[in-house]
Amino acid sequence: MIGFKEALTKQPVPCFIEKASDVEQLIYTEDCKNNLSVYLHKPEVRQAKKIGILANISTLRALVQLISENQFWDIELTVLTVNDLGEVLLFDTLEAVEAYVQANFPNYTEEEIKLLGYLESLSREERWKYWTDQFANCIKCYACRAVCPMCYCPQCTVECNQPQWIKLSAQTTGNLEWHTMRAMHLAGRCINCGECGRICPVGIPVHLLTVRMNQDLFKEFGTRSGYALKGDYALNNFKPDDKEGFIK
Amino acid sequence: MQSMSDFEPKIVAFVCNWCTYAGADLAGTSRTQYAPSVRIVRFPCTGRIDFMLLMKAFENGADGIIVSGCHPNDCHYTSGNFHARRRWIVFRSLLDFIGFDTDRITFSWVSAAEGKKWATLVNEVTEHIQAKGPFTDLDKLDFIQLKEQYDEAITK
Repeated sequence: MIGFKEALTKQPVPCFIEKASDVEQLIYTEDCKNNLSVYLHKPEVRQAKKIGILANISTLRALVQLISENQFWDIELTVLTVNDLGEVLLFDTLEAVEAYVQANFPNYTEEEIKLLGYLESLSREERWKYWTDQFANCIKCYACRAVCPMCYCPQCTVECNQPQWIKLSAQTTGNLEWHTMRAMHLAGRCINCGECGRICPVGIPVHLLTVRMNQDLFKEFGTRSGYALKGDYALNNFKPDDKEGFIK
Repeated sequence: MQSMSDFEPKIVAFVCNWCTYAGADLAGTSRTQYAPSVRIVRFPCTGRIDFMLLMKAFENGADGIIVSGCHPNDCHYTSGNFHARRRWIVFRSLLDFIGFDTDRITFSWVSAAEGKKWATLVNEVTEHIQAKGPFTDLDKLDFIQLKEQYDEAITK
């Protein structure tokens, strides 16, 4: 069972329970914002075969997206959540999870909308200056990749080294390559949990890139991540009459 | 018409083998005169063009980029250009959000019979990039370049 427990700091931490008697440790507060679904990719967790997870709404959305990408073929997942009234809900089937997510589909946070609005109000040169300043701070720790439940490739593109596809050193051009590539690989798959932006040790709003991608994909193709178990990934499909205005 | 500067832009063209490359070849065999600024990179299909290649072209000295392939419904591999089109829509939006100058990238459909269109396209893009000037957004970003400039300034 994966849930949250208290720690010495104010922030609740993930906890992994194997015995029923340990259940007393579990807590659920407003501060339980982290996306626990990232642990479901770890082999030491998966070998348990039967796994329970206490999910907040972002985690539920991540679970729907991961199921649509067929990532839980070998484990039996039991999903619990706590709703706004503080009641603990146990989902009987994965379809029930999907229905709950669709009924309570989270909107973009106020902060995200405000920041995106601010960036869109800048001129192109000002936006370039903003992002290159941000990426100058990036130390290539790949924490954004580590915490993302959608970044589960056993070998990431950055590991492609014949030729070295993405520059390794933490210099602005290489950082630009990394973040652009990551945003494209997550476009339409990111479920907006905001973990990447929260975890960045140098405060880069990494999540804004993928949030913007999701907005664009919804606007252009009407697709949403983490919405349906069947999945609807915009870059996998196409319509013969997709419209664009920039191809000569 | 004399160009404003004698800046010779470097245009990299990512083209599909079956349509645009053949179209460019036709422009050549028809002895059509067009700007010598373009360097053509041949792909089996536009669907194979990795979006990072566009960024890497700029990093390696390109001033402008052309991406061109078969018209919709005419792809040699049936649907490669459809997937490419979706990818371009998304990537272009991302580049614009980051503040990259998407005006330097031109996308087009050029078929194997459109040699003239290819020549016109290259001429247009060359003129456009000449007017915009060389691509300098990626200069002075990395420490090594900054250090060189610093050292140069110190020794003056």
